[in-house]
Amino acid sequence: MLQIKNLSKCFEDLEVLRDVNVTVSQGEVVVIIGPSGSGKSTFLRCINLLETPTGGEILYLGDNILQLGKKVTDYRKQVGMVFQKFHLFPLMTTIENVMYAPMKLNKVPAKEAKEQALKLLEKVGLSHKADSYPSSLSGGQQQRVAIARALAMKPEILLFDEPTSALDPELVGDVLEVMKQLAGEGMTMIVVTHEMGFAKDVADRVIFMDGGYIVEEGPPDEIFTQPKNERTKAFLSRVL
Amino acid sequence: MELNFTKAFGTLLPSLLGGVGIVIYITLVGFAFALVAALLIAIGRLSKHKLLSRFLGIIIELIRGTPLLVQLFYIYYVVPTLINGVLAALGYEANVQLNASTCGIIGFAVNYGCYMSEVIRSAILAVDSGQREAGLALGFSEQKVLFHFILPPAMRNSIPVFGNYLVMLIKDTSLLAMISVQELLLRTKTYASQTFLTVEAYTILALVYLMLSLPLSQLGGIIERKLKRTQ
Repeated sequence: MLQIKNLSKCFEDLEVLRDVNVTVSQGEVVVIIGPSGSGKSTFLRCINLLETPTGGEILYLGDNILQLGKKVTDYRKQVGMVFQKFHLFPLMTTIENVMYAPMKLNKVPAKEAKEQALKLLEKVGLSHKADSYPSSLSGGQQQRVAIARALAMKPEILLFDEPTSALDPELVGDVLEVMKQLAGEGMTMIVVTHEMGFAKDVADRVIFMDGGYIVEEGPPDEIFTQPKNERTKAFLSRVL
Repeated sequence: MELNFTKAFGTLLPSLLGGVGIVIYITLVGFAFALVAALLIAIGRLSKHKLLSRFLGIIIELIRGTPLLVQLFYIYYVVPTLINGVLAALGYEANVQLNASTCGIIGFAVNYGCYMSEVIRSAILAVDSGQREAGLALGFSEQKVLFHFILPPAMRNSIPVFGNYLVMLIKDTSLLAMISVQELLLRTKTYASQTFLTVEAYTILALVYLMLSLPLSQLGGIIERKLKRTQ
């Protein structure tokens, strides 16, 4: 579904991604782990072109998305993203946050968009907060609304950029629960996270990145119990 | 010194109330155009077209670096002369003259537009970049992101400052006396020189300005508190 070939990204002289190759198939849950500054987030942001890669190819269903030009918006509709800091729209209520993009971009009638939004809020356990403003929600609740907002565009792939890193520890569980549920429903997901428990339980494949490279990748059992690379071993011994 | 406020109130006040209409008209229309101009200038200043951005930057510096009164004189006296000169050079005999109130509105639109564009520009820059990214990630284009997610909070956050500018503008209409608009100051000046009730006349004038500006700044305060509460 998604094929990433020889991807590289430099900021001025700083090389943050080097020769990254990843293939993601439909329904797969790929979890990216690694120390801070290893390029995980940059890699994720390159996938929906919030960062423009400086080299390589990203093929989505066979099309190179780096040559889309203005059609990049059509591609982004199919690739949802959940941010570390939620980035909900503060002047809109929860339900407006969720129904806004389908209404404005896909011309879904307001009534239909609202029904769909309500269903999505129910799914993330927040239908009772439909008319609240984001500022009155906890971080965990805001993040679940952000997931509902991304789902409202019916994306084919969901990208998660450290979705629980900005949350109080006791709020992390609810968000991970929603993500687990999505994974169970067959959503294709690429998740950058420090939640090793989540990676073990939910990932089909774990990628360990360091210094802009993919150092090691494989099924979670293999990576977590018998990592081959020294750097993976060192990282895991610190976080586990 | 003998003061005769009764006489001054009886004769000057009706004349001033006639001028209030003009002041409010010029203030509202001028401010509306200034807002539109400010929005356009702010967006232009932030555009990727370096030439446009730099050009607008120079205009803003020109306007902010010269007095409003000089700008009003320029629009009233110089611009028509220039237009006539150009038309004459093209072989048309013309005698374009600009109505003084129109000149006032143009002057305020340009001057306040430039000042307020800087307010809007910094409010746009102050919107969290995450809002832009969230919009882009959902599939909105850069342009749509600006209109749907950046401008609404930016404009909202600028409202208290706009309120201050509105109060300033209503007072600045007194400058229009210098280009013969029959507003409050000119009416008072004429009255004072005819009746020699100088103290009374200018005191009444000051009170009328206060009656115009105080409710406005109160209203601004109320709106500001309301916005803060719902944020």
